Amino acid sequence: MVKAAKGKKKAIALLALTLVSTMLFSACSGGGNGNAQNNKENGGEAAAGNPVTLKVEVFDRGNSPSGLSITDNYLTNFVQDNFGTPNNITMEFVPVPRSEEVQKLNVLMASGSDVPDIVFTYDSGTFYRYAQQGGLTELGELLDQHGPNLKAFLGEETLAYGEFEGKQFALPAKRAHLGKYSSFIRQDWLDKLGLPVPATTEELYNTLKAFKEQDPGQTGGKVIPLGMALAPAQYEPLIWSFIQPHSEEERYTLTQQLGSRDYPTLLPGFKDALAFMNKLYNEGLMSADFGLDEDKKKLNEDAANGLVGFFSEDDMNPFYPDGLYATLQKNVPGAKLSAVDVYSNAEGKHPKPEYAPVGLYIMIPKSSERAVEAIKYLDWMASGDNLLHMQNGVEGENYTLQNGIPVVKADAPEDVKNRIYNQGDMAIISNGKQLGDSEKNVEAYVYGMPEAFHEETRRALTVSRSDTIKPVRFDRPIEAQGKYGTGLLDKFHEIIVKTTMAKPDQFESVYETAMKDYMANGGQAILDERKKAYEAMNK
Amino acid sequence: MTLKGTSYLRRYWQLYALLILPVSYFIIFKYGPMYGIIIAFKDFNFFQGIGGSEWIGFDGFREVFAMPDFYKTLRNTFMLNFFDLLVSFPAPLILAIMLYELKFAWFKKLSQTILYIPHFISWVIIGGIVYQVFGTQSGMINNIVVSLGFEAIPFLTDKKDWLITYLAVGVWQSAGWGTIIYLAALTGINRELFEAAEVDGAGRMRKIWSITLPSLKPTIVTLLIINLGHMISIGFERPYIIGNTAVRDYSDVLSTFVYRMGIESGQYTLATVVGLFQAVVGLIFVLGANYASKKLADQSIL
Repeated sequence: MVKAAKGKKKAIALLALTLVSTMLFSACSGGGNGNAQNNKENGGEAAAGNPVTLKVEVFDRGNSPSGLSITDNYLTNFVQDNFGTPNNITMEFVPVPRSEEVQKLNVLMASGSDVPDIVFTYDSGTFYRYAQQGGLTELGELLDQHGPNLKAFLGEETLAYGEFEGKQFALPAKRAHLGKYSSFIRQDWLDKLGLPVPATTEELYNTLKAFKEQDPGQTGGKVIPLGMALAPAQYEPLIWSFIQPHSEEERYTLTQQLGSRDYPTLLPGFKDALAFMNKLYNEGLMSADFGLDEDKKKLNEDAANGLVGFFSEDDMNPFYPDGLYATLQKNVPGAKLSAVDVYSNAEGKHPKPEYAPVGLYIMIPKSSERAVEAIKYLDWMASGDNLLHMQNGVEGENYTLQNGIPVVKADAPEDVKNRIYNQGDMAIISNGKQLGDSEKNVEAYVYGMPEAFHEETRRALTVSRSDTIKPVRFDRPIEAQGKYGTGLLDKFHEIIVKTTMAKPDQFESVYETAMKDYMANGGQAILDERKKAYEAMNK
Repeated sequence: MTLKGTSYLRRYWQLYALLILPVSYFIIFKYGPMYGIIIAFKDFNFFQGIGGSEWIGFDGFREVFAMPDFYKTLRNTFMLNFFDLLVSFPAPLILAIMLYELKFAWFKKLSQTILYIPHFISWVIIGGIVYQVFGTQSGMINNIVVSLGFEAIPFLTDKKDWLITYLAVGVWQSAGWGTIIYLAALTGINRELFEAAEVDGAGRMRKIWSITLPSLKPTIVTLLIINLGHMISIGFERPYIIGNTAVRDYSDVLSTFVYRMGIESGQYTLATVVGLFQAVVGLIFVLGANYASKKLADQSIL
């Protein structure tokens, strides 16, 4: 009998244990609010003398040199020593993988307590959604009180992009260089065939045909006259050059902003662009698998192997050390790549989109207890020569100043170079190097490239800044864009791929179906809302 | 004589103790998260949490059911699963019987090991291999096809060709691993049955037909029921990685739809609605299949 009771007791004890542990687990998982409260209490203590912790998001591109990590490197230490320690603040950097920033940020924001005090995204739709749902700290007053340098640095035009319903909810980073795209052609192929650089889209078509038929690169039939990928840098310059003249009202209402870019889905001429792509594809003048190539990997590979005759790309991309051009010259001795402006409209201009004057949208979650410290940190970054130091390293060791432009010392030892390997992701208030005016900023880019490519880089940066189209900006967010933007971008890509790859006689019907699908899945909603917003704006 | 409560517990408490871990696993990881289902009935705002968000009743369902993409992805989910069932379900069975018939133990072991390997390769890597092998311009197979003077086959960019690629890759990846359960069941067959059949003059096919297959029947039915239960749920990686923009008409399925809605666009309410819908339809399928098999074959798992 005694024994039996013991057994029962044990069973009950075990059962109780299970229950308790279960409750513990569920308490942990559901206890977002509880944790926030704990933080508050801790924060109170900290103010009395213990250092407080400021958590800052940082993009992790998985490119840390050995011995360094994205959370522990020269720049994190620089920030800690020069901003953190003097202000009794412990800096903590929270890595977020670059390739899934929005997804990871959503998860962090949803967790409530673990979210860093400074977060950011390139996606304006995500920023609007957070602002609309009341998840962000209002920054107007904080900026006036604690961030005078920051405010002056960013300037009104950039700050306006961070407003939501008239209130400042984000601090957009300032962009140094607004140009996006340039085109590139194999100059040595043109020379071999005795052809001039094509000046219009029509001439380009003939050049591409010549590349295909005469195969100047002796690729053995593998030539890809026009290198294409399913990425904006490749299709945007082509498509925008077909857009016909239109009124300001049309520009506002018929453009569709998906993610952070404006798309001309409904503007007159879009269909002509698709028809042109369809023609190129069916005549074998374009990369056959461009629809699979969303990360431009295949295009880069083909171009570096000397198979591609002409392509458009982010203006500086080919010129980086060990980048596309360097690899091409290694693979094909004598290969010469020229930056050119070819895609043209009826007026002979070369229209292409430019960036909004903003980069990252920097935000402070509402749950953060460290909003003041966060603004102070960003203000510190904007003051004195802190930004210069964070972007360029130590003068005399990493760079020398020439006419006010920091020129990278190419012969610096590896560990000195590695000091600023992550400067773009640490100096979050600026997108690109800031030296006062855009000419200087561009020169800084040029000097950042290998010397042999300086001239061509300068030309590409000039191409990308000419005949540009500014993004359309409403004074209010278009909600439908936040809701459908991401999904519609997929649909937009579907339109391009399907119409391009259709047999010429099926082009019309494929285009009709794809457009209908696009409109039904949010395109119409965006159009309606933009029409309304335009009316309201002009009242 | 039945044991009374206390003496029963005293005798078997160890068994119950063993149960604690699996039961708590289910409570914590399977039942606990079900709390989140109410997101489907709320205008979920993650700054306010599940409790603080507003109730919206069935509005989320109305919105999802009005989306043209929902029906497309639903159709694709059924279509891909149905073809998969046709192709991938019999494959391990046939493979297992073939392995079972092998005479040399070393050869059998070697083949098994080779067949299992694809199961352990991540879909991301398989995706990379697929692009290398099936690409139109520089894929291995098309290089051969083109050099023989034929036109390249758009394995990845034409939707019908893509479907075949998708199914073939699925078989390659899963058939070997799928044989394990069948092989386990096959070891349970009484060898004397085969000897008796041989005495009666049965050939190899006859033995497979009359002994091996009937012995596998319960296993086949069980696996079929499980598979039918999964008709509406589809793995995320395979269609997402092997699919591409050109074939989205076929490759867009419920799981990629949920990913796009929930994780990419942050519309958790709609994503939860789709998830709940999947669960309910899945349950109906399992119960239906189980009921049918009980009626038809007198086999069931519930």
